[in-house]
Amino acid sequence: MSELTQQTPEGGTPIADENPVYLKDPVLDATVRMVVELAAQVWIERERRITLESLLEAQGTLSRAAIESFKPDAAQAAALKRERARFIEDVFKELRRIPPKP
Amino acid sequence: MSAVPETLPALAERADAAYLDFVEGFREYILGKGADFEDRLNEALLAEQARRGQPWGEVEQIREYVHSLPLGRLRDRLSRTQQEMKWFALRRSFEAQRAALLAELERYDTRGPGRLELDPNFVHPPYVNVHFHLQPGGYYKDALSGYLYHYGTKVFFRGDNDHDELHSKLVARVPAPVDGRVERVLDLACSIGQSSTAFHRRFPSAEVTGIDYSAPMLRVAHRRAVMLGDEVTFAQRLIEKTGYADGQFDITFAFIVFHELPLRIIHETVREAARVTRRGGIFAIYDFTGTRDKSPYQRYHRWFDARHNGEPYSQDFCDCDMNAILAANGFEVAVAPLGQRSGGAGYMTNWFATRV
Repeated sequence: MSELTQQTPEGGTPIADENPVYLKDPVLDATVRMVVELAAQVWIERERRITLESLLEAQGTLSRAAIESFKPDAAQAAALKRERARFIEDVFKELRRIPPKP
Repeated sequence: MSAVPETLPALAERADAAYLDFVEGFREYILGKGADFEDRLNEALLAEQARRGQPWGEVEQIREYVHSLPLGRLRDRLSRTQQEMKWFALRRSFEAQRAALLAELERYDTRGPGRLELDPNFVHPPYVNVHFHLQPGGYYKDALSGYLYHYGTKVFFRGDNDHDELHSKLVARVPAPVDGRVERVLDLACSIGQSSTAFHRRFPSAEVTGIDYSAPMLRVAHRRAVMLGDEVTFAQRLIEKTGYADGQFDITFAFIVFHELPLRIIHETVREAARVTRRGGIFAIYDFTGTRDKSPYQRYHRWFDARHNGEPYSQDFCDCDMNAILAANGFEVAVAPLGQRSGGAGYMTNWFATRV
């Protein structure tokens, strides 16, 4: 255990483990965490889209049709893949917290 | 448009801010009327109490019943999850800009107004080595702990304290000593100094000092105060052993500190506050309401917070008789229970104690 994660409370209420199971089944716990995480990711996207559309509309620089027909070039496609990996990791990292034996 | 400088640390990406914005809203939803856990679970607890024909005894009894309810277990899962999400996002965002954030602190360390007094030989007592509110590394083990705490509490207060509104309100409520003399104010465990700067604004001619054991917190406190133009001294000292002279302060203040102390240190801190607060001076405390005043759900919430939200000392604090401890150390106590939105009504109390 690293110095950063070690704790040394003086009495009081015992601190729960790092990965408590609340729903009597770690898979259910992970499922709930993933649902909340997905909601966060959806909100991030919605907030960005509202921002972008507002800016584009205000500047008169882009039509909706241009967005629909957009094709990423190689660099943009690679960046999208990196974003996709981060998105999947954010939501599904919970799977690693399910212990092999409950 | 507010003219107040933005002291919150910048996040690495817009997406980080949106993520934390979601957590703030989600927290509001599950703690408030959105999911309506509190009222529904409290009603279930009161109905069960009526069925059993006797009041709830130990909190363990309440816990067993809440955990028998799927709604209770889901509420726990979601409470823990929103807290974990907050720290996950903040750590990632600050880690991405660690070098720049540390360089920024360095730039402010020696600037004025006010000054920063860090103790290179400071030894952290073991009891402070706790990850309060699940903050990774606790309050002092990461050089960015102060930044994590600042943005973390912004989310915690759900928009009510973005520009220190809560701290300003609480500081405004503190009664001045009867003789009106306020030359020196001590803010105990000041963390990032939001009460300290509020005191400086309320009493501009007074010397305001904020103390804390955490150097990373004090550095952010000093940076904030400099940005706001508030002259405050921030010093790395223990609140139970401040090293200041007898009767040096006219007002001593403790904002949500005592529930993060073991009982032994609660007693020592009140004794120390009695020593450094002059006769006729005020010792003002804002902290959790005692157990006896709480609903069954609030008692459960306190237990959950203690065990699952890194607050190991809070249950003992809520069970102790703070009035008696203050009185035994030479304070005349006035208590003003308050409702507070974070965590619902009835969770927080003000103690205004006069040193006699």
